[in-house]
Amino acid sequence: MNPVEQSMIENEQTLTLFGHDPVWLSIIKVVGVFALLVILVLFTIWLERRVVSWMQQRIGPNRVGPQGLLQSLMDGFKLAFKEEIFPTAADKMVYILAPILSCVPAYMAWAVIPLGPEVSMFGVSTPLQVTDFPVALLYMFAIASMGIYGIVLAGWASGSTYPLLGGLRSSAQMISYEIAMGLSFVGVFLFAGTMSTSGIVNGQIDLWFGLMLIPSFVIYTIAMVGETNRAPFDLPEAESELVGGFHTEYSTMKFALFFLAEYINMLTVSAIATTLFLGGWRAPWPISLWDGANEGWFPIIWFLAKMFIFVFIFIWLRGTLPRYRYDQFMRFGWKVLIPASIAWILILAVIRTLDVEGTWSHTALIAIGCGVIFMLILFFVRSRVGKKERKKFVDEHPIERDYKPFAGGHPVPPLPGQHHVPVTRKSNVIEGTTEEVNEEVRGG
Amino acid sequence: MNELIASVFETPVINYRQLSPILIILGAAVISVLVEAFVPRANRRVVQLVLVFLALITAIIWAVTGAGQQAITGEGAIAVDGPGTFLQITILIVSVFVAMLMAENRLDPAGDAFTARANSLPGSEDEREYTNRGWTTTELWPLFLFSVGGMLLFVVANDLLILFVALEVMSLPLYLMAAIARRRRLLSQEAAMKYFLLGAFGSAFFLYGSAMAYGFAGSIRLGDIANAISALPGPNGLIIAAVALLSVGMFFKIAAVPFHMWAPDVYVGAPSPVTAFMASCVKIAGVGVLLRVMYVAFSGLAWDWRPLFWIVSIVTMLVATILALTQTDIKRMLAYSSISHAGFLLIAVIALNPQGIASTLIYLVVYATATVGAFGIVTLVRGPSGEATHLSQWAGLGKRSPLVAGGFAILLLSFAGIPLTAGFIGKFTVFGAGIAGGATPVVIVGAVASMIAAFFYVRVIVLMFFTDPAEDGPTVVTPSPFTGIAISVSVILTVIFGIFPQPLIELAEKASIFIR
Amino acid sequence: MGAEYIPVLLLGALAFAFAVFSVTLATLTGPKRYNRAKRDAYECGIDPTPQPMGGGHFSIKYYLTAMLFIIFDIEIVFLYPWAVSFGLMGVFALVEVILFIVTVFCVYLFVWRRGGLEWD
Repeated sequence: MNPVEQSMIENEQTLTLFGHDPVWLSIIKVVGVFALLVILVLFTIWLERRVVSWMQQRIGPNRVGPQGLLQSLMDGFKLAFKEEIFPTAADKMVYILAPILSCVPAYMAWAVIPLGPEVSMFGVSTPLQVTDFPVALLYMFAIASMGIYGIVLAGWASGSTYPLLGGLRSSAQMISYEIAMGLSFVGVFLFAGTMSTSGIVNGQIDLWFGLMLIPSFVIYTIAMVGETNRAPFDLPEAESELVGGFHTEYSTMKFALFFLAEYINMLTVSAIATTLFLGGWRAPWPISLWDGANEGWFPIIWFLAKMFIFVFIFIWLRGTLPRYRYDQFMRFGWKVLIPASIAWILILAVIRTLDVEGTWSHTALIAIGCGVIFMLILFFVRSRVGKKERKKFVDEHPIERDYKPFAGGHPVPPLPGQHHVPVTRKSNVIEGTTEEVNEEVRGG
Repeated sequence: MNELIASVFETPVINYRQLSPILIILGAAVISVLVEAFVPRANRRVVQLVLVFLALITAIIWAVTGAGQQAITGEGAIAVDGPGTFLQITILIVSVFVAMLMAENRLDPAGDAFTARANSLPGSEDEREYTNRGWTTTELWPLFLFSVGGMLLFVVANDLLILFVALEVMSLPLYLMAAIARRRRLLSQEAAMKYFLLGAFGSAFFLYGSAMAYGFAGSIRLGDIANAISALPGPNGLIIAAVALLSVGMFFKIAAVPFHMWAPDVYVGAPSPVTAFMASCVKIAGVGVLLRVMYVAFSGLAWDWRPLFWIVSIVTMLVATILALTQTDIKRMLAYSSISHAGFLLIAVIALNPQGIASTLIYLVVYATATVGAFGIVTLVRGPSGEATHLSQWAGLGKRSPLVAGGFAILLLSFAGIPLTAGFIGKFTVFGAGIAGGATPVVIVGAVASMIAAFFYVRVIVLMFFTDPAEDGPTVVTPSPFTGIAISVSVILTVIFGIFPQPLIELAEKASIFIR
Repeated sequence: MGAEYIPVLLLGALAFAFAVFSVTLATLTGPKRYNRAKRDAYECGIDPTPQPMGGGHFSIKYYLTAMLFIIFDIEIVFLYPWAVSFGLMGVFALVEVILFIVTVFCVYLFVWRRGGLEWD
């Protein structure tokens, strides 16, 4: 029996741990995960506001509770006591259904996230994970895309222009980045030989997939930001263009549900990143030297710590980067991420074949991964993407040398290469020559 | 569970030699897509034509040289056997002539039979501009190749899933091809929409039937289904429903009454070369598959499905023939004629004997040969706004252009099944098989129907030769060698098969064993 | 078999109950002060257009994106089982998947060249 078959049987045996919980234990686990998520969301909202404030040299919420920790909870209560508004043009049934549709799948995705190893809970030994099955990640992938229904239906049912545009943009954006995301999983499955989350965590005892498959990891990290509609890819909610995007017409708890779903999704993609690429709940290297690190309830700490690294990156991005333009965003998704993922999968398939034959080491794989990433960076530094189009546009629209302040009927600023010529107004010409008046204008 | 995982993966055996015609055509289709992407517009037509004809001819050579080596391959999913290879070669050869009709660009002053740009609004300024630039829809060629590839796979598919995939690969390009006529574009788009909706409806029936067959037999292989049926102690509702739904799906494809509603409209609306393709190749593939499914999988249930097929066959022949009598449009008349031929072909399916297979093969060859020629001639007779298809416009054609009218007359006589034309051989063998298979009443109805049919075919001939041409009647345009060769070969073959049918009959009889 | 899926349903039921509860809670707790302007579609203070943009029609680009998504999503669905059992199948699977990916990639190139991926 070769090592591949051996590992497949091990994966099967991991899965036999699941599906034996008594119903009361399942209920406890489910309620536990639910409560954990609510608390984590409240904490994340607070964290985001504080961190962004810190980055912008403000203070941020610090009044309610210690360090303002209860601020988001109070905001939630406030929303519950606000007036409910049903727009006249809204399709009422769908309008109410949309936030529910967006919230429920967000919670359901957490059913397969492994939080820790087997622990003893009220005398029953059970894994610290709601459940797991052979197609766990496929399930996660499917349930995460269900959330798009909520968004697109919210945009459609509001009966208003901005939400419709926001909903459409959002769905187009999410499906575009979902492809890159789905393709980045393939590398992990190739090496883990299973789609179950616990099996994937077990596959990373020696080496994290995030180090072994660097390009997959990078692609996933980019796609996860696009998938959650977060800055710099927050086009569906671009305040300056679309007011609030798909939830413009929503108020009170219905708005709160969208908000909740967005933050849970952010946590979900971070949790998937942790599970798939950073070894899940397993303790990172220096801590793992301590024997008890991977046993009992401790691993939850490592898991949450790793997850919050990603959450922090989300916040950091939001505090740092300006928003992408829509065409740039779609071009990046379709013309860079997708071909890059497909090419990487082909490379991986070849490497994996050699790996199974036993003529390959993981070090070489890491080296290749680094090389690929280096090439990608080079690609970006030279920024060939869109250069040709830009040049074509510039060639077709030469800048006119003489500056017309009211070209096209609107006041326009001077473009590069044009010079501002002070306008002579009749009212200014009271005495003296035009030149004198111009001098005056320039001086003042 | 563990044994399941640990069971060693066995590489499936795939006989690439037997699959080579399919692979060549589908490979060429992919290359053709790339040609669309990278070759400049001015050269696309030439490159595509070279590619298409090269691919078709290579595929024919590989299929002919490989004929006789039977194989069940791809883990039983594909059965390259006698009838399969015979139909593949027939489809490929007919496709060459259909491609010739499609390549024609001298008949219409604006170019070929396909619109300048499919996404410009009919009658708009845009459309006029692109027409003036001499653009044409070269995307036709990849679609055509994919469709042919789907047909090749369709006739050798040995399990219901591959059948369905092949059915879709065959049909989806056809829906698009029906929509891109250069003249009367709205009609063409309407036809495509109808074809798409009803085609999808038919596919859904087929898929539902497959699901039930799988539910019954626990397998989608035709052979396994047959085994499950022979092990069956009594009647079983599931498999009866499966047979019914599967046959309805295929009746849609071959346009048998009462599932024929789409055919006349689509045949009229689609560009004539595409109509020729639909009427000939799709019918070959559809009937071929019906034959395989009924003979291989469901022959054990013959007592249950035969009555249904009797009725469909009789109704198809009678209704189509009678409706054809009332038509005033030549393409519509040919459409009903094509529907009635589906009825005749069903007689051979009912027969359920080796003779039935051989006679179907012969019938399909002679029918497809004549059809391509007939639609080719339809493209030649043109008025100021494109093809002149009203019957009154064809009056006196024999006096103005005896050669074309003569050719058309021969093809019509073949459709009617008059002795010394190929159509007679087809009908004769099919009726023979029907009588041998105990379907004498159906054969009698068939004979009556062909007598009625002879009336309207002869009516057209009378119209062409014994009436005076109208003053402002249409002209017969001289085509380029493409259409010329296609039509002449079609007429000549119709006569040759009619006078010396023996080689064709022998070949078909040699090829008439399904393997499973 | 199948018992491992039950907790998923439990979690879904809990989340659904919570969502429905939240939505109904707000109707009970909030004030109700009717005002026509409040219930109009929000368009930055200008008089709202009677119908959403284009009467509910939107750009064909979205349909195109959706169709491309389906093509690639199906590619992904085919790749997953392949990836999971790749270790068992060896070189045969490698050759087949290369053929498959290259074929899909040809279509991708066609779409790219014909401007199907441009947004302006």
